[in-house]
Amino acid sequence: MDFFARQDQARRHTVRLVLYFILAVALTVLLIYLIVAVIFLRDGASDNLLRLWDPGLFAGVAAATLLVILAGSLIKTAALAGGGGAVARMLGGVLLNSQTDDPDERRLLNVVEEMAIASGTPVPEVYLLPGEGGINAFAAGFQSTQAAIGVTRGCMRLLSRDELQGVIAHEFSHILNGDMRLNIRLMGVVHGLICITVIGRVLLYSSSRHHAYGRYALGARSSGRGNNPLPLLGLGLLVIGGIGVLFARLIKSAVSRQREFLADAAAVQFTRNPDGLAGALKKIGGLTQGSRLQSAHAEEASHLFFGNGLKPSLFQGFSTHPPLIERIQAIDPQFDGTFPAVSDIKPAEPRQPSGRPPAPERPRRQVRPPMLPDLLGMAAAGAAAGSPLSRPPPPPLPARDLVNHVGQPQPNHLDYAVELLAALPSEVNVAVRDPLGAVAMVYGMLLSPDPAMRSDQVEMLRQKVEEGCLAELKRLAPSLASLHHAFRLPAVELAFPALRQLSPPQYERFRSVTRAIIESDRQLDLFEFSLGRMLARHLDGHFHPTRPKGAQYHALKPLLPDLTVLLSALAQVGNVEEARKEAAFAAGLKRLGFGGETTLLPMAECHLGRIEPSLDKLALASPALKKRLLDAALDVVAADGTIRVQEADLLRALADTLDCPMPPLLPEGSDLTN
Amino acid sequence: MIETILILVIVLAIPLFFIGVFMISGYNRLVGLRNRFKNAFAQIDVQLKRRYDLIPNLVETAKGYLKHERETLEAVIQARNTAVSANAAAGQNPGDPAAMKQLAGAENMLTATLGRLFALSEAYPDLKANTTMNNLTEELTSTENKVAFARQAYNDSVMTYNTARERVPTNIIAGMFKFDAAELFEVEKPEQREAPKVSFS
Repeated sequence: MDFFARQDQARRHTVRLVLYFILAVALTVLLIYLIVAVIFLRDGASDNLLRLWDPGLFAGVAAATLLVILAGSLIKTAALAGGGGAVARMLGGVLLNSQTDDPDERRLLNVVEEMAIASGTPVPEVYLLPGEGGINAFAAGFQSTQAAIGVTRGCMRLLSRDELQGVIAHEFSHILNGDMRLNIRLMGVVHGLICITVIGRVLLYSSSRHHAYGRYALGARSSGRGNNPLPLLGLGLLVIGGIGVLFARLIKSAVSRQREFLADAAAVQFTRNPDGLAGALKKIGGLTQGSRLQSAHAEEASHLFFGNGLKPSLFQGFSTHPPLIERIQAIDPQFDGTFPAVSDIKPAEPRQPSGRPPAPERPRRQVRPPMLPDLLGMAAAGAAAGSPLSRPPPPPLPARDLVNHVGQPQPNHLDYAVELLAALPSEVNVAVRDPLGAVAMVYGMLLSPDPAMRSDQVEMLRQKVEEGCLAELKRLAPSLASLHHAFRLPAVELAFPALRQLSPPQYERFRSVTRAIIESDRQLDLFEFSLGRMLARHLDGHFHPTRPKGAQYHALKPLLPDLTVLLSALAQVGNVEEARKEAAFAAGLKRLGFGGETTLLPMAECHLGRIEPSLDKLALASPALKKRLLDAALDVVAADGTIRVQEADLLRALADTLDCPMPPLLPEGSDLTN
Repeated sequence: MIETILILVIVLAIPLFFIGVFMISGYNRLVGLRNRFKNAFAQIDVQLKRRYDLIPNLVETAKGYLKHERETLEAVIQARNTAVSANAAAGQNPGDPAAMKQLAGAENMLTATLGRLFALSEAYPDLKANTTMNNLTEELTSTENKVAFARQAYNDSVMTYNTARERVPTNIIAGMFKFDAAELFEVEKPEQREAPKVSFS
């Protein structure tokens, strides 16, 4: 099942979720009513069940219960709308800084960065749960633009790099599949059912205070019924609330269990290394604490986690995760059930180096600023530190099957990402990790290569940005000038954690300056355009979160004008002769089944002012339509046998706008000198 | 009788519900804003630490040339050490007025002593020509620019937080849950330093 089919399936699961929820609420109302009726309506003598029915009482109970449940759900959903970070902080998460010194944190961030580049998404926020000794991880966020990954201290310290990679790959597959949105909705909805427990507890404890008073005042111990019905009501609500929690777990398990197997399979496929994920699962089995969480919010967020965060429950059906042994056997059929002994590590201790030599680490990347010995001229010969010349990038990847790889990065994408990161010039690598450097780098990338235009743009910048920023830009200029094109979009993806650290006023300035630079040269530079779109989409999603819009178009006909603009732009940019342009355009149309219904637009009409609104509209298409769109775009681009750099960039921009993460690609043996 | 109780419950519940919602959302907002400025301070912290790491090396390099300017060099090291401890204290409690003021004071002192050092080194062309010295100076300038940028972000977040906690009705919640005012991080503008010229074309 590919990315687009999974998105459709996620939508169907949401419908199922709503139905289960309605059922659970109805049953809860009935049960509460039953308890209330039994307490208040029964007169000792008669056991006639029909007497228990009182429409007025029922209406009242139903109204009150619905109010509580809906209120609980709405409040929780609103609280979670702040993005994955809100969930992480609720669980006690601490945001990791991408300039950290701690080697384990650095290792974790490296793994996350490699995966982000391999899957074509911006690097998400990474949180550490320092108070959790168990091995566990989660991914959260309403949309991929707000994604956050959280990892427990146990996970970060106790797993090997391969095992860590398996776990992170599992979480990434949740992000790419759109599972997170469903998960967050689940949390909000189910919270309403759990609310009842809270109220029950409050009533129970408050009335026990009345009890004490009552004893002294009246000198008689009340049984809790008759005079003072509240504690029994409280107890009843507690019981009902417990039932509500059970319903909640049932719903969660109905929706989420199968997905854990799927995510495991995706992770294994992505890393091409079953031992990593299996090893992590085995270590969970071997650790006393396993994957259990200490946090009070463990119940609410249980379905978000990699492993089971709660104590093993009585009924298998209520568990949000498949049993550990089954998961391991699905990956490693030879597993015989013996877990390795894993000892916990105290929080303050860093990982102790063992006597054995460390396992071969992937090529070490220099992520600190130029080492002091280097500055003092004592660098070892051959170190790449401070060198402005970039090493050549890894060999290109085939462009076929691109659309099939959307949301499903392959092992060679991961290998490519690792090599790309190792080859990234250290100046750039350092710059992307702090906000000023990241901002300066983006400005530098957007500047025109034409000298006259460039100096005009610099003049404009002088008016708009602070001196410190300009100085940093000057410092980076040589590295950026010699930066191979293949590194540009990945470098921007790496810059996102730093860009998210901008304050809102700084972000507004950044946006207006980038827009000014892009518009200043009045030409169709597709790299600039795709960069601008990517920044806007992901950073606006962080600074001005909006509700995601559902699919509004399920047929291609209404989108014909927008399709025409897009395919024309692709055809115009990718070809020189008129005949080839027409041929490319026709190829795309044919894929969509539109034959001769529309014609190629002239270059003059394919400017950014038209492309932008068209892309916005196409973003509202259903997943199945999006797949066809991307297929058609690829046909247009591949019609002349080569994929130019500009076409590759526009394809990725298109995919990004449509919320379809596309792994990196390089033109297959065509000119990169553009 | 039961109906009365129920009606009472519902009538009380609705305003209580709204009050509850208001309180929860106000509290969450303040917590979020407080988190944001604490994170912003962490960003400053990283750059300040880098600055503090560079200074001893700078002084070592300069020592060889500035043989008779020991007081200036020692003043720099002293100021740097004071700033390191002020930074550590502020890191424990970002936004705390006393700690932030102390840090700002220490930073001002450090900038002043560094300024004296660089003014002095104008008179020593050998020192100015030394590549190591140039590298370190450039790195230092870059780090100071990053500190300034991070400070700007921090101050923006502190202002937003302070405004939120003073506004009615959020100020009620701020009072109830001890959301104290945060202090800005203001330093004096450092003198323009002569960094090696990089031509930009």
